[in-house]
Amino acid sequence: MIADFEYFAPKTVDEALSLLARYKGEAKIIAGGQSMLVVMKRGLLTTEYLIDIKGVAALDYIKYDEGKGLRIGALTIHRAIEKSPIIQKHFRVLSEMERNLATIQTRNWGTIGGNLCHGDPAGDPAPVLIALNAKLKLARRGGERIIEMEEFSKDYLEVALEPDEMLTEIQVPTLASHTGTAYEKLMVMKGDMGVVGAAVSITLSPKDGVCKDVRIALSNCASTPLRARKAEKKLIGKVLNDSLLIEAGEIASKEVSPPVDVHGSAEYRREMVKVFVRRAATKALQRAKAA
Amino acid sequence: MKDELKELKLTVNGRPYELKVKAKTLLVELLRNELKLTGTKVGCLDSACGACTVNIDGKAVRSCSVLALQANGRKVTTIEGVADGDKLHPIQEAMVEYGAIECGFCTPGMVMSAKALLDENPNPTREEVREAIQGNLCADEGYVKYIEAIEIAAEKMRGGR
Amino acid sequence: MEETFGNYSVIGKPMPRVDARAKVTGEAKYAADIELPNMLWGQIKRSPYAHARILNIDTSKAERLPGVMAITTGKDFGGFRWGWSRETRDEEPFATTKVRYQYEGVAAVAAISEDIAEEACDLIEVEYEPLLGVFDPFEAMQEGAPLVHENRPGNICVEYHWAFGDVDKAFAESYLVREDIFQTPRMAKGYIETPAVIAYWPGPDRLVFQGAKGSPYFPYRILARCFNLPLSNVRVIQPFIGSDFGGTKNDMTHCDFAAPMLAKKTGRPVKLVYTQFDTLTTDLRRHPMWITIKTGVTKDGILKATYLKAVADGGAYTRMSPLTMFLVGTCMTLPYELPNFKYDAYNYFTNNPSSAAMRGHGLYHSRFAADVQLDMIAEELGLDPVDIRLRNAIENPKPGEVYETVNEVHVATCGVKECIEKVAEATNWEKRKKTKKAEGHKSYGIGFSAATYNGGTKLSAHNACAAIVRVCEDGSINYLTGASDVGQGSDTVCCAIAAEVLGVGLEDIDIKRVDSAFTPVDPGSYGSRVTVHAGQAAKNAAEDARRQLVEVAAQQFSVTPEEVEIKNRQVFVKSNPQRNMPWERLVRIACYETPGKVIIGRGYSTQGISLLGLADLSKGVGDIGTNYSFTAQAAEVEVDVETGVVKCTDNSVIAHDCGFPLNPPAVETQVQGGSYHQGVSAALYEEFKMDQGQTLNPNLIDYMRPRAYEAPMSKVLHVVTNDPYGPFGAKEASEGSCCSAPPAVINAIYDATGVWIKDLPAQPEKVFWALKAQKEKKQRKK
Repeated sequence: MIADFEYFAPKTVDEALSLLARYKGEAKIIAGGQSMLVVMKRGLLTTEYLIDIKGVAALDYIKYDEGKGLRIGALTIHRAIEKSPIIQKHFRVLSEMERNLATIQTRNWGTIGGNLCHGDPAGDPAPVLIALNAKLKLARRGGERIIEMEEFSKDYLEVALEPDEMLTEIQVPTLASHTGTAYEKLMVMKGDMGVVGAAVSITLSPKDGVCKDVRIALSNCASTPLRARKAEKKLIGKVLNDSLLIEAGEIASKEVSPPVDVHGSAEYRREMVKVFVRRAATKALQRAKAA
Repeated sequence: MKDELKELKLTVNGRPYELKVKAKTLLVELLRNELKLTGTKVGCLDSACGACTVNIDGKAVRSCSVLALQANGRKVTTIEGVADGDKLHPIQEAMVEYGAIECGFCTPGMVMSAKALLDENPNPTREEVREAIQGNLCADEGYVKYIEAIEIAAEKMRGGR
Repeated sequence: MEETFGNYSVIGKPMPRVDARAKVTGEAKYAADIELPNMLWGQIKRSPYAHARILNIDTSKAERLPGVMAITTGKDFGGFRWGWSRETRDEEPFATTKVRYQYEGVAAVAAISEDIAEEACDLIEVEYEPLLGVFDPFEAMQEGAPLVHENRPGNICVEYHWAFGDVDKAFAESYLVREDIFQTPRMAKGYIETPAVIAYWPGPDRLVFQGAKGSPYFPYRILARCFNLPLSNVRVIQPFIGSDFGGTKNDMTHCDFAAPMLAKKTGRPVKLVYTQFDTLTTDLRRHPMWITIKTGVTKDGILKATYLKAVADGGAYTRMSPLTMFLVGTCMTLPYELPNFKYDAYNYFTNNPSSAAMRGHGLYHSRFAADVQLDMIAEELGLDPVDIRLRNAIENPKPGEVYETVNEVHVATCGVKECIEKVAEATNWEKRKKTKKAEGHKSYGIGFSAATYNGGTKLSAHNACAAIVRVCEDGSINYLTGASDVGQGSDTVCCAIAAEVLGVGLEDIDIKRVDSAFTPVDPGSYGSRVTVHAGQAAKNAAEDARRQLVEVAAQQFSVTPEEVEIKNRQVFVKSNPQRNMPWERLVRIACYETPGKVIIGRGYSTQGISLLGLADLSKGVGDIGTNYSFTAQAAEVEVDVETGVVKCTDNSVIAHDCGFPLNPPAVETQVQGGSYHQGVSAALYEEFKMDQGQTLNPNLIDYMRPRAYEAPMSKVLHVVTNDPYGPFGAKEASEGSCCSAPPAVINAIYDATGVWIKDLPAQPEKVFWALKAQKEKKQRKK
């Protein structure tokens, strides 16, 4: 059973931030609650104060212009991201990722901000946003700061949010030309948390097709989403082909310290990193060439 | 105060309610215990089974994973609000006629997921039908007849049969 | 899809289920939906240890919590023990001296709210002395291993040794002998509705019990004994039930004792609802088994002998393990002819939650092993899997004849050959052999299997199955039943049978469900007995009512009763249909014209092949069923050879001989469901992972249940054999597909990859390593 808490339902960002400032440390934020309520029902999380920001309409938006790039309000539900024509057109990988995130019921209520702040290394959005070089806007009463998506996860279920801070916006820069991105995860059933997952972004140089930039971010391979930097180094500056992508997978598999659970041993996960880095990179490369 | 009752105004199956609830009340608890709408079921603790699926503003949502207070100002439809008096909704009719229902425990959730699908997408592909009920666990029926019944209902609703 | 069978008015045609409307509108009330005035909420206090002595239970703090109305512990039950049979009474309502599995219940609380009940449980202080435990049969069988039950040396719960014919001689004469070891996993029943109960005492010695029980008979009998009440004072009223699959909702669990005891103490109704966590950590589950199977065949692939050894983890209490181990062996001599058969069974006590029946009970384990091994044998001999099955399949006995196996199982109808042929045809079996497919990293394969399942189970002399058909004065009809429809559709077929016999429509029958104050009480939904037995009872009761009315009609028409026919609610003289009257008129005449009759038909089930004797479980001889269904299945799988993920494709065909499909769509749904949820799921997805008695995946995310996206759209073909021992020729439907699906899937994986997965489930990691080992083996050979 869930333990009682004192409850607030702010309607604006300012109200929410004031509450956070007042109760910092003792308050938890709930958005869609799709992760949080499960944990609370199991009795693993209690809180004195619960700040329910689901009603802060101002944080529900998807905006895009070529200059600023994509801006997603933290309270945008997964389903909106999945279905957004803008995102399907310009950041297809986000829509594809959302399509396999849990099930429709979860996506209809859960928010991208809530997902990111829950900090589960098995989560899908984080590695994709890392691959997209995204930034996050964190606000507190009296100020805000921008942090790299990559810097946001600190540890298993722990993110870089100060007690009086709130995630308000996800910023994804416009993709450079000749960039392709893809996310592949190992599911037994559609919607499963990935046993492992790989998000890859590849940018090719238009002149000679050489890999100008590559980002490989992995889910469920460590206590946070993990960038496979050594694997990336293998690919930068080269003309990519199958065997290079296979090599990248192998290198990435050595960079990870995967969890062990009922869904897979560490060994198996390492093997799967090889497969999924290769698959995601292959798709990203195809898309980069087509772009 | 932690167990202070909070005001909640919402519409359930077309009927407006003004209630006072404890903040920690889940929507499914409100529906079943307060409003005595026991058609919505509880099957798990992990947001996994979908037996608690309702529609909030037309969208399929797990009522076990929504605080009742979050439904403030919203329109909730439960299984009890799907039929039109004695007249079954085409989805319900199809499920009855084609033998899709076995023990029936997952059925309300299935109907709500199917309804949300067809209200938004009147001509779904088979894949989309499967996706729509992927969050609804059944233990009996094999899903085959549920999928077929939803497709038949969709056709009927489009003016087919 | 809209096939009809036979020349009947009601049965043999698609019919909507009588309870479908209530379920699809949310009106149907399940146990957890029931609310009574003044009701209290119950909660169970459970042991954190898998094996421990209970030194002390202190409930004083809990008692002082405001809102707590009563607490009960095992002591309240005065040493009462219960079990599945008199000989196996080894379980108490709550553990008193020691706990034998993690989360075994030691106490229960009734309070004015769920929250307070839960808080109170936390305040109950229990002192334990943890003990060393045994957590699988191999630990349990060790010399000097801790004993789960002090009076059961060696932790042996069940041991059988059967021998029919001479297997050693047969092996010596065989062209090929193979021995293989297979393993089946610990599996959840899988119901979404968890156990729930509400109980109250309307009088000092009268108990009312409403629970999610597939067998109302168990609480009826056991609670009567427990509370020292005459049966007539125990009123079991069945709500709708969210499936059962053979256990816990079939059998007793803590809440079934707690609710009545707490209700007695408080004088108020007490409701107790398990969580899915309770279910996944404590409810009865399918035995994990280790199966050694040795088979000898001739050069032509004809079976000569099989030796089967089954080692099972029975968990903490006996429950129905004696029956389980019997079922593992009994039908090994079906669906193929087997002249020599030897069986050694060992079921051990362990400190795990108890194992018990589950859809496909017993037979599923051995059929998996045997039908996969049969494919292995076929391959060694260079025979086709369908061909080898046809060579061995039992022929359908001619009408009036009965096929007897070496262990005296009697089969009057056997459609397995026709099933095999139909499936082979539907899947284009001959052609597909030449088109092996691989697409990138996906490999495709198709596997075949055949199976049987016993229906109309009769376990002891008292398997009373009765029905009452009451015709009201205005012509409306009640059907009173003791049988529980747990979702398989038995209510509907029994009503349909009654309607068929009476000559009215299905919609004219109003079913009055189990309420032991007024209806007969039936053993329940297990062993696929309901359609066969309750169906026969319904038939007999309807015939009795019909006879009474026909007598009156005969008088009215001045003819003999044999000349009267009732069809489509019209009563008429066969030779002169102009002489007729509507059903309602006949009933009114019967009831109101002097002397005025009260039309009540009663019937009970009498049929069974071996009426003179029941199966001897320890010797393995005789029939446990009244008749036997047969199934053949072809399943196609897609294997991602890079990850090991296996998925069923829509190319899935199942042919099922259920004797006569009383409600064809219901049979199809049952077969599709049995195949996917209990069969395919066992092959691919489900397994409880345990560590020293602790369940590591006690939730529906980590314990994977099959879902809609991956569901194969299986096609079901009906094979009709018209069994003489079932109502209108019916046998059981669909437990066979629980047994046929796992070997079909495993054989398909072999076809796709060349790898045999002999221990279920074929989860991705397992398949991955097997494929890797195979690749390395091939490379070493080069």
